[in-house]
Amino acid sequence: MRRAFVFLLAAGMAGPVAAGEALAAADPTFAEETVSSGLRHSFTGEWEFMVGGGVASFDCNTDGRTDLLLAGGTAPSAFFVNQSPLGGALVFSQQPSGLEMDAVSGAYPLDIDSDGIMDVVLLRVGENKVMRGLGDCTFAEANADWGFDGGDAWSTAFAATWEKGSSWPTLAIGNYIDRREEAFPWGSCTDNWLHRGGASGFAAPLAMTPSFCALSMLFTDWNRSGTPALRVSNDREYYKGGQEQLWHMDPGQPPRLFTPEEGWARLRIWGMGIASRDITGDGLPDYFLTSMADSKFQTLPEGPAKPAYADIAWSKGLTAHRPYMGEDKRPSTGWHAQFEDVNNDGLADLFVAKGNVWEMPDFAQADPNNLLIQQQDGSFAEAGGTAGVASPEHAARGAALADFNIDGLIDLVVVNRNGPAQIWRNTTTGAGHRAQLRLSQDGPNPDAIGAWIEVRQGETVQRRENFVGGGHGSGQAGWVHFGLGASPEADVRIIWPDGTTGPWQPVAEGFTRIIKGQDPIRWTPPPLATIP
Amino acid sequence: MTVCFRYLTALLFVATSVLSSPARAADPQQVLTQWYRLVLELVRHTPTYSPPVAARSFGYIGVTVWEVTASGIPGLHSLSGQLNAFSPAPARADAPYDEAVVLNAALTDAMADFFGNTGPTGQRAMQAMARKQREGAVEGVPPDIVARSEAYGRAVAAHVQGWSAGDGGAVVENMGFPDSYVPGEGPAHWVPTSAIRQQQAPLLPGWGNNRPMAMPDGSSCPLPPPPDYSEDPASQFYREAREVLDVTASLTDAQKLIARFWSDDPMLSPTPPGHWISLTSEILERDRADIATRAEILARLGIAISDAFIGCWDAKFQYDLVRPVTYIRRVIDPGFEPLLITPPFPEYPSGHSTQSGAAAAVLTDFFGQNFAFTDSTHADDGMPPRDFPSFDAAAEEAALSRLYGGIHFRTAIERGLDQGRCIGAYVTALKMKDT
Repeated sequence: MRRAFVFLLAAGMAGPVAAGEALAAADPTFAEETVSSGLRHSFTGEWEFMVGGGVASFDCNTDGRTDLLLAGGTAPSAFFVNQSPLGGALVFSQQPSGLEMDAVSGAYPLDIDSDGIMDVVLLRVGENKVMRGLGDCTFAEANADWGFDGGDAWSTAFAATWEKGSSWPTLAIGNYIDRREEAFPWGSCTDNWLHRGGASGFAAPLAMTPSFCALSMLFTDWNRSGTPALRVSNDREYYKGGQEQLWHMDPGQPPRLFTPEEGWARLRIWGMGIASRDITGDGLPDYFLTSMADSKFQTLPEGPAKPAYADIAWSKGLTAHRPYMGEDKRPSTGWHAQFEDVNNDGLADLFVAKGNVWEMPDFAQADPNNLLIQQQDGSFAEAGGTAGVASPEHAARGAALADFNIDGLIDLVVVNRNGPAQIWRNTTTGAGHRAQLRLSQDGPNPDAIGAWIEVRQGETVQRRENFVGGGHGSGQAGWVHFGLGASPEADVRIIWPDGTTGPWQPVAEGFTRIIKGQDPIRWTPPPLATIP
Repeated sequence: MTVCFRYLTALLFVATSVLSSPARAADPQQVLTQWYRLVLELVRHTPTYSPPVAARSFGYIGVTVWEVTASGIPGLHSLSGQLNAFSPAPARADAPYDEAVVLNAALTDAMADFFGNTGPTGQRAMQAMARKQREGAVEGVPPDIVARSEAYGRAVAAHVQGWSAGDGGAVVENMGFPDSYVPGEGPAHWVPTSAIRQQQAPLLPGWGNNRPMAMPDGSSCPLPPPPDYSEDPASQFYREAREVLDVTASLTDAQKLIARFWSDDPMLSPTPPGHWISLTSEILERDRADIATRAEILARLGIAISDAFIGCWDAKFQYDLVRPVTYIRRVIDPGFEPLLITPPFPEYPSGHSTQSGAAAAVLTDFFGQNFAFTDSTHADDGMPPRDFPSFDAAAEEAALSRLYGGIHFRTAIERGLDQGRCIGAYVTALKMKDT
């Protein structure tokens, strides 16, 4: 089935409108290539690994292709170098990297020391690790060198930002239950930590009290003030007196919670993952929160004056509350979530990883992943089954959506608990055009974490924040993808992390590097890197 | 404070026995206390445990505890033949038993059954509790007595579980929300009050058909109809809605605290029935009550609140009344926002009021009129304890909290308490020991 789009280009229209000219939006299709790709790995473990199971996706060898680090739980984490031919079948080769470590629950790429080589943060059940990138897809622990206190907790969430005036990033790490509590673990949520940068490394971590068993965190400029706040999604299964949180993050000041007097309304969910993008077209980030049964989709109907969020998940078709296929109709359990445009129609879609926590009979055991395709009217329609990414037989946790074979289509990798990780190549035919952008700037924060990227076609502007965090145990770095619909051309503008607004600059179909202060640079894929 | 003679006698007995008993790793009181502490956590952290489901488990676990306890103490009576369809439990052999071992074995199996659908953390906690309690209970007890005691405890637990399986409430699907529901026609009837997809049908619409324990059936304590639906400002219905709007618009801090103290939201608290179990447990610990006292009142209270939800749900779905938030927004003030989250089922009568009325009736009969106590149920959630001069005062405050919270009309509150007292009377009539 193909849906005919008639794009509305009325000036000043606030709602989401697909970019470009009239386009028949393609129905997405994916081909699972787990076995043929060589991606063989499982995230394993029992109670201490019932959550977590992330994947870090980033380019470790500057060949433009997205490589993968998969958390292993009780098994060592595994690193896979992307050797996929341009536009071809997915091919990954497991390589020793120095990142192979047990008890890893999540992984996030971040150029911590701003040397142009991607580093990695490993969340663990035990001591967390910051791993310095050495180049050529090798890494070495840098906790001591960078003054990073990895602690000893059950770490389950991560976010990073560069606070104004700091040459080192600020890392927020979310921690879960006191794992030594057996009979009464409820109410034992341990402190989250804030690792702020010092002169040449990290200061001692600051306890973010109160902490409520975070499973996802995100530094995000929720009101476009230029200063990100820290959003924390917490698991109500374990906290007492807790709720979702939004922290003021004023540079040089201790973090402090937004209060009811400031408009923050109490919300208590099984918070497990955060996805963010400006979906409603109001210029502000919207937030999709995974949970058990109904998910949440939050917007600011009254604008950026106060964080008074409204849940519009139902009206948008984003509740994702129970399986949409099969006989198992018990409530769903959602984990990683990520907005990406999988059919390049100019409208961001949403992937949600689904899977039972661990033999919870009140919830679906056969719980298919969601692939929710945004429609022209701003609602979302389920396509997980028809696209081939449902995988109800596995219990998904972390995931990453990225263009693994650099053909312009967003592919998918999913980490399953106590089951094989899966990878799918996007095989959608008739997809629209796309622009894939990579930001960089001189000095600290070379990947411009915290920037806002705007892509304009006619009167329509797509916006997304360039962040590291959110999801469930899974971080991405590299090309930022926008579908362009029927037109291969668009203008791009960057609001850089320091608040500088760049000019509108034309970009065309394909890959473009956006370097602060320079004209856009077209990028063409080089030959596959030679792996030592 | 008027304390019941029988409760006073029990306290004097426990005071002397504590002085004369040798130290031991675990006694039945400790076993019971620890398991009930876990029950309250599992109720909170098992998603299916909405208040009616939670109350049912408190009822059956209470009966299990009572049957193993009463069978070991002369003068205490089994509830078989008194509770609906409850046949005699297996008898003890003419041989020694250890009561802590018996009780721990019974609770280990009862918990595994009534909380079999809890998540991995709950399962792990139950296993840890069973292991730790057993380690303490069997210490110094000859193996043959341990084996005999555990076998007996398990047999009683299995007997109660078998009895429970046929009451209509053993299987709860989709957390109690039916796949589909045809709402009543007309503005007087309940309609969904939230944007949560799962809650577009009301919670457990058939719960009133379940077999109660002590009262004959779900309609044994019927209520008169609520005030006639009307949008006429001169009508009682409108006036009660107006009262909800006016009260919630001018809540004092003390009233807000009361609303939140008794909010007892599922999955965020031990639920309303768990709240009454919690405050009772606090009293029993404070007074170092003996096992017979604990077992009797926990059984009576469990039965009362279990039956209360059956009776209340029977009336709720008989009258199927619209919630204040729906009526007020439609008729009086579209911007009305109640302080509390409106529960996903019909309004009349108030469930918290019914079960609080039943609980207060049972507790007052047992402990006495004007029995003062402190309720620290929500201390872990950062809410300060509250002191009450009597159980009736607590029940009335719990009921009134629903008006402050903006989720019930006054008639539902007052008649809910009435219905609860009626249900409680069936429970206080149970003969559990020699007079």
